[in-house]
Amino acid sequence: MSVDYGRRHLRFGWWSLLLFATLGLVLESLQGLKVRAYLDVSNETRRLMWTLAHAHGTLLAIVHVIFALTWRSAPASLPSPRLISASLIAASVLLPGGFFLGGVTFYSGDPGVGVLLVPIGGVLLLFALFSIARAAAGSR
Amino acid sequence: MTRAPLVLAILVAGAAAFGSVAIAVRGPAVPEPRVTGRPIQVAEAGYVSSDTCRACHPSQYATWHRSYHRTMTQVATPDTIAASFDGVTVDAVPGSPMVLEQRGRELWADFEDPDAGGQTGVRMGVRHPSDPSLASGREQVAIGSRRIKRQVVMTTGSHNQQIYWYATGNSRVLGQLPAIWLTADRRWIPRRAAVMRPPGGSHVSETGAWNGICVACHTTNGQPQFDTPFGSAAIASQTADTRAAEFGIACESCHGPSDAHARANRNPLQRYTSHLTGRPDPTIVQPLRLPPARSSQVCGQCHSFWEFADPESERHASARGLPYRPGDDLAATRFIVQPTKNLDTPEMKAFLASDPGFIRDIFWSDGMVRATGREYNGLIDSPCFKNATDPARTLSCFSCHTMHQTPDDGRLIAEWADDQMAPRSLGNDACLQCHARVARGGPQDISAHTRHLAGSSGSSCYNCHMPYTTYGLLKTIRSHQISSPSVQATLETGRPNACNLCHLDKTLGWTAQYLDTWYGLTPPALGADEQSVAASLLWLLKGDAGQRAIVAQSMGWPAAQQASGTGWLTPYLALTAKDSYDAVRYIAARSQRTLPPFRRDQLPRGNPQLLIEANGTFNAEVVNRLTRARDNRRVFYRE
Repeated sequence: MSVDYGRRHLRFGWWSLLLFATLGLVLESLQGLKVRAYLDVSNETRRLMWTLAHAHGTLLAIVHVIFALTWRSAPASLPSPRLISASLIAASVLLPGGFFLGGVTFYSGDPGVGVLLVPIGGVLLLFALFSIARAAAGSR
Repeated sequence: MTRAPLVLAILVAGAAAFGSVAIAVRGPAVPEPRVTGRPIQVAEAGYVSSDTCRACHPSQYATWHRSYHRTMTQVATPDTIAASFDGVTVDAVPGSPMVLEQRGRELWADFEDPDAGGQTGVRMGVRHPSDPSLASGREQVAIGSRRIKRQVVMTTGSHNQQIYWYATGNSRVLGQLPAIWLTADRRWIPRRAAVMRPPGGSHVSETGAWNGICVACHTTNGQPQFDTPFGSAAIASQTADTRAAEFGIACESCHGPSDAHARANRNPLQRYTSHLTGRPDPTIVQPLRLPPARSSQVCGQCHSFWEFADPESERHASARGLPYRPGDDLAATRFIVQPTKNLDTPEMKAFLASDPGFIRDIFWSDGMVRATGREYNGLIDSPCFKNATDPARTLSCFSCHTMHQTPDDGRLIAEWADDQMAPRSLGNDACLQCHARVARGGPQDISAHTRHLAGSSGSSCYNCHMPYTTYGLLKTIRSHQISSPSVQATLETGRPNACNLCHLDKTLGWTAQYLDTWYGLTPPALGADEQSVAASLLWLLKGDAGQRAIVAQSMGWPAAQQASGTGWLTPYLALTAKDSYDAVRYIAARSQRTLPPFRRDQLPRGNPQLLIEANGTFNAEVVNRLTRARDNRRVFYRE
């Protein structure tokens, strides 16, 4: 059974973009309404973590869309699309998710333990990007 | 494509030019160790400075950064000075006016040389440089007629006053401008008028005082680094390579040197182990985790009257600074002045031999401290501290104060910074933590105990048990020795009692009667005046300068005005505005400004306690008699 990775990542990317753009709107609202749980100096770590979650989630959503278009342009060039696809999706959950959880509870300047998901997601993202880049280079 | 390098080069050149202009406008930053003419900040001996703490403790850093502890000592720049130096002429100085000038980011002052006529100096420790009685063995100098122009390089204070220090040109030794800036009033006053000291007398040079004295408490790990012990010779013949880990009272003043802590916690495993287990980090001192006595000593290292334990300690401090580190036993390296306990010790006798007036001027005769800024002395004589057996129920500085504003504190940070009170301690809760049985009327209703309306100023624990009987910095603050109102104590010590500081129009006899009726305190024998004249007037007319200042301040206190009426206060404050002490006059004038315009028809006529006759005139005979009986002893507060 062949999987349409283009469709999967287009769908994941756009829904993900919607989710993290919405998070951005929520964060802007917290700013606008001067919510202390977000803006107080004592919550600086939360502000940083949630901002990072928003930024990484949004950027990775765009990466999914680009990956989908790349796949459609040259589907046969990727060596192990299932692994790359899974890594990319896992990274898109773990990176922003880790940052978000790290800001829910935290220890002064240190994020909460949820931030441990971030390096895992980072490694998976690097693996996926490296695989795509190598395949793109080979396709020339 | 061929234009790209050119565009890039233009952008780089533009950025470089912009940066150069910015640096030129701001002035080149001289590395701190190469700064000359003033003390420097060098993080050494295990100190790392607050910049390092900030990375991991942003919230704590931010609240400390807004505190007056941080701004106690600052390098003088246009950003840190409270007053304007831009072409300002200051008349409020001895001799001819002082002229201030701002040259770019440099601040300059042209004034009469306070050292022109000779030299003075004082020792580190409890002694205060502005106290002429302490210049033992040295002459008091009249301010010189020689004018000098010096760069102002450092400031002290920012909350109530700001003092300015200039580079003398002798190593890192600083001199003090002859006028200071009052932040609330936004005006200059002579330095000598800012402290409670006898009228007359000459200007006192305070050259070297910052290096030898202020550095101990107004910086973090201050080291005078005098070549010979400070005060052992004329300051002009001494040199000082004074330095501190950081200017101001910074993180490491209370948490101790933190290099080991910072190093250990670069390891995230170490940090998260601490976070998740809640175990104390042995690499840092957390005052809140110390036993109450030790935690209060962290504050007491500066907020106390103390003396060196021996001459060798003093010599060491004159070079390398004080040995105390947070968590240590303060008494191991210092002699804490506590007249109730150590009046007869050899240390105290030796101390009093060099400064006979010290105890008399700074403590009430029963040993309660009467000078501001020495709250630790009050704490350790409080029953809530000295009689406590359970550490969890022992009064400490942190029972009421917090050095970092907490997230549950809804006040503006500037409001918190005023007294650094914990939100739980703003009302009676601070006391009710232990004295819950007093709240018989409900969680906050202590009216059954106070016999005053619940929620009124008479039902505030603080107002009765911590009245405004300590003085300093041109104002009174609450006594930090918890006590109960007592007419007997007032008679024995002269210390105004809480009842009569609010009920300014009542006599000591009235107070004694109520204390007897309500609390069973046997009324002491009172003289005719104590029975017939309002206690506030007795203190104001015949008290010493300290008592007069306390009452004059109380006359501007809204709670006292509400309890006592305001119609009669203006004439007495006007009388006090002629006091021979600058500080008393200043406070009387300030209280006067809180009153409505005086109207003779609002005088409480026929009130003998206030010495007002039925026809609205004052009983001049008694007023004059009491004024003639005034305690005119020379009062020096070591503020």
